[in-house]
Amino acid sequence: MYQWTRREDERLLTGKGRYVADIEVPDRLDAVFVRSKVGHGALRAVDCRAAREVLGVVGAWSAADLMDMPPCAHSAATLQDLPPVPHTVLAKLSSDEAVVGREWPALVKERVRYAGEAVAVVLGEDRYRAEDGAAEVTFQVDPLPAMVTPSAAAADSTLLFEGLSNIALRGEAGKPIEDKVWQDAAAVVEARYRQNLLMPTPMECRTILAVPEGDRLTVWSGHQMPHRLRRELAALLGWSQEQVRVVVPDTGGAFGSKSASFPEFVMVAFLAVKLRRPVRWIEDRLESMLVATRGRGQDQHARLAADADGRLLAYELHIDADVGAYPHLGVGLPMQTAWMATGAYCTPQVHATVRSILTNTMLTYPYRGAGRPEAVIALERSMDTMARRLGIDPAELRRRNFIPPESFPYTTPTGRTYDSGEYARALDLALETVEYDMWRAEQARRRTDPTAKPLGIGLSCYVERSGGEPGGLHEFGSIEVGTDGTITARCGAASSGQSHETVFPPLVAKTLGVDEQRVRLIEGDTDEQPQGLGSFASRTAQVTGAMLQHASQLVIEEAKQRAANLWDLPLEQVEWSDGTVHAAQDGSAAMDISELVKATGPLRVEDRFETGMEFPFGTHVAVAEVDPELGTVQLLKVVTVDDCGVVLNPDIVHAQAFGSALQGIGQALYEAIPYGDNGVPILANGLLDYLLPTYTELPPIEAKDTCTPSPSSPLGAKGAGESGCIGLPAAVVNAVVDALQPADCDLLQMPLTPDVVWRAARAPKLEEAR
Amino acid sequence: MKPAAFDYVVPRTVPEAVDALGNGGRKAQVLAGGQSLLLEMHLERIRPDLVVDINRIPELDDMQITDNALRVGALIRHHVFESEQAVPGPLGSLFSLAVVNIAHPPIRSRGTMVGSFGWGHPASEWCAIAMALDADIRLQGPEGARTVAARDYFHGPLKTARRPGELITSVRYPLLAERTGVGFIEHRRTHFCFAQVAVAAVLIVHDGVISEARIGLVNCADRPLRAHAAEQALTGVGIGPPTDGYRLPEDHPFTRAGRIAAEQDAAPLAEPYADLEYRRHAIAVVAARTLCQAANDHRSRVGRTKGDSQ
Repeated sequence: MYQWTRREDERLLTGKGRYVADIEVPDRLDAVFVRSKVGHGALRAVDCRAAREVLGVVGAWSAADLMDMPPCAHSAATLQDLPPVPHTVLAKLSSDEAVVGREWPALVKERVRYAGEAVAVVLGEDRYRAEDGAAEVTFQVDPLPAMVTPSAAAADSTLLFEGLSNIALRGEAGKPIEDKVWQDAAAVVEARYRQNLLMPTPMECRTILAVPEGDRLTVWSGHQMPHRLRRELAALLGWSQEQVRVVVPDTGGAFGSKSASFPEFVMVAFLAVKLRRPVRWIEDRLESMLVATRGRGQDQHARLAADADGRLLAYELHIDADVGAYPHLGVGLPMQTAWMATGAYCTPQVHATVRSILTNTMLTYPYRGAGRPEAVIALERSMDTMARRLGIDPAELRRRNFIPPESFPYTTPTGRTYDSGEYARALDLALETVEYDMWRAEQARRRTDPTAKPLGIGLSCYVERSGGEPGGLHEFGSIEVGTDGTITARCGAASSGQSHETVFPPLVAKTLGVDEQRVRLIEGDTDEQPQGLGSFASRTAQVTGAMLQHASQLVIEEAKQRAANLWDLPLEQVEWSDGTVHAAQDGSAAMDISELVKATGPLRVEDRFETGMEFPFGTHVAVAEVDPELGTVQLLKVVTVDDCGVVLNPDIVHAQAFGSALQGIGQALYEAIPYGDNGVPILANGLLDYLLPTYTELPPIEAKDTCTPSPSSPLGAKGAGESGCIGLPAAVVNAVVDALQPADCDLLQMPLTPDVVWRAARAPKLEEAR
Repeated sequence: MKPAAFDYVVPRTVPEAVDALGNGGRKAQVLAGGQSLLLEMHLERIRPDLVVDINRIPELDDMQITDNALRVGALIRHHVFESEQAVPGPLGSLFSLAVVNIAHPPIRSRGTMVGSFGWGHPASEWCAIAMALDADIRLQGPEGARTVAARDYFHGPLKTARRPGELITSVRYPLLAERTGVGFIEHRRTHFCFAQVAVAAVLIVHDGVISEARIGLVNCADRPLRAHAAEQALTGVGIGPPTDGYRLPEDHPFTRAGRIAAEQDAAPLAEPYADLEYRRHAIAVVAARTLCQAANDHRSRVGRTKGDSQ
């Protein structure tokens, strides 16, 4: 029989997965949102009357309609008005200061601020009927000037919120660098980089089903942070957290985009409670093209100085970030870029400044990589430019500047303390794996052969951060041993496809010394696991893994204590091995823990465990062949070497490296959301417009790893989920720059579509340096 | 993304289908492979009152060769043409070069060649080949059957000579003579998306001299095109020796023909990631390369027949 690679696979790959849209509950209504097609304007005259006449439509409301809605459910008696959308407090992604005076209504009250913002909601017996109803809702938006770039909005000539600047946050990391440093440096390179706005594009878009039962609400949602969702929904309903249960069933991907509460979620919970009927919203692809959160979206200006030997002297990065129309989700996200600006090098002076600017785009929010790709791309592109300027091989320039292994823990000028790293080892393995010298020789050969397409080799040495930010580096969980021998692990994580069922039961089994088939995992249910943080920031293996290992050790301690009591022995004379307790001396038969539980009562340990911030790293190499006549880029070879410390399961880690590499290629070559000047996204009609790399674009990718254990957790594992998105885009762009050698590298802005590459290929070349 | 309500009928014969299409002035759509129609209905860019599903009409699932021509019935799926042997001679090669550019395998296994003529998209590979080869389109309507030449059939983006109530029963292509050289090259951002530019080229060559060139342009205007000016510039021109590398010399006849196709025949429209300057340039490059491919194909056919006779 075929062996599935993962415990999840048989269920998920044979159509037996159970997603939110598969959950049938009686009397359930489907919500459809009526969305503004205008990006910025004053809303007038929303009229839902005709929608209410449509067969199968149960209700249709604008924000104004909801204000007069009589409370009908006892439990909702205190719920007067539609609550606004909550803001993210985690990891300083948003703050009370940023949102004060800038309410994000769940339905537009007066002003539309992004295309797709919901102006009304229609509930129908099914999605078809609700969409028919939505088509009957009429409204008008009197357009205001739309601002779709940070520079347009930063001028404050049109304000998104009256009396408040469009610049919603200013921040910095590191100290300003004196002019003299730049003047005295042997080489200074300067560049502008655009970090294209991306869609996270999980296969399953966002989902929520809210089922009221008595004075409780059960919420099913494809979500990364069920406890956060519970907390935020309870707060907006004015309920206690115990009255809300959030369950995460199978979830078809998230990539960061499913960890918040969204306007549609607020509406669904509110209407379910008001009407005392189950209500769901299953976002479709067309909606997600307009209103799913976006990733990246930065305009950067970078300046890098080095001495004549290529020793880095100073690095400066300014970021104008497009954070979208409301500061609620990711106004602080660009600070992740600023904090990580130092990269893998011991540059003595680094200064990063941030302006988070509100625009008329949908909100930006963490997308796989979340602030670190932007830092790596700016620095690693600048490193390649510096290497060309100085005539030093780009691998050698990096090697001369790496933070040496003996310097860890290393506190960077931008305020991060890296836990461990051996950066040169990853670089060496990557160069060896890709056969760097062979490709350099081939490149040289092609430069003398007019019939050969130019070839380039791009490097990117990245450092990233996993686990989360201080205050969010812990996780909760428990382990329970049943009398039937079953061991049940529970945790606050939630899988959106990351193989938790495959990785964690064997980890618990290994710690306890039992067969892994005895261990099962329960997660993603706030009734099963009352406290939790969730799965984001590549934290689950690192933090939840360490927590479950810790809890397993508590089980062993507890079992030994019970056996000591049972046998009336001193604790130190009880030993644990392979899931059994036995007395050290007398040679009597070992007792399985299930027998011990039968004899001594239910055994359940629960705890909270915290790790430090950890800093995975690696080197990615891309070899690209460019057709200068058409501007097409073909990746001939991609090598990723990642160091995520101790690897818990190599198949899973490699799959993460592979998947994130493909998404990294997507940012480099294919993906972007262009906006028209009117604030409306163009090319937003689904995945024929927003082009993802698929298996037909897949280059040969070789994923390897080095292992530098983290001292910040007993498991030694660092996060492995985002590496390709973080490291690879810069390698791909650097390869194209290396192939074409344009004098002005700013011409090559992502995505490197054929027209962009063709223009760069026709532009003046860099003069031969020597 | 749900279609508006519609009625659905499944006729078993062509007359039944034509009856259904002409019934009561309702907006009716023919469903064959559905790979464009269903998406457009989900997007509600098309809102038919009635969908006429022709998949149960056996006579449409038919492909025949008569009078040195290939007739492709309305239910023949794209994937059939993935095999070079599905159609005799160079026409089979041309189809097999073109068909792999149509989206992904699952779409090719369901979508139909004739459906492309019903849809009339400017980026359709089949429609541009039909233009190049002077194919004709067979329509069955309430007033009987009629045949429309490809050159008279395409009227604009998604606009064709097909009248409401008419069903396309087949498309007919002339077979290509034995030593005809064929080429098809498509340029696009990913394998899944529509062509930014694609070109079909057919060269009839005698003693190294082009006696007739036929060039179809995909997505180079608001409709599929034939590049008459470029074709004329090639008549009587020698194909010359094979060229090395991806870049043809500026004065090569195929380079010149490519430029003529881009400047005189094509009428490209700007779109995101392909403005007019880039598009015209890409048309010239792809056309020249496709002509090269066709010339190489001719050379290898001549070599093969020589080899056979020995």
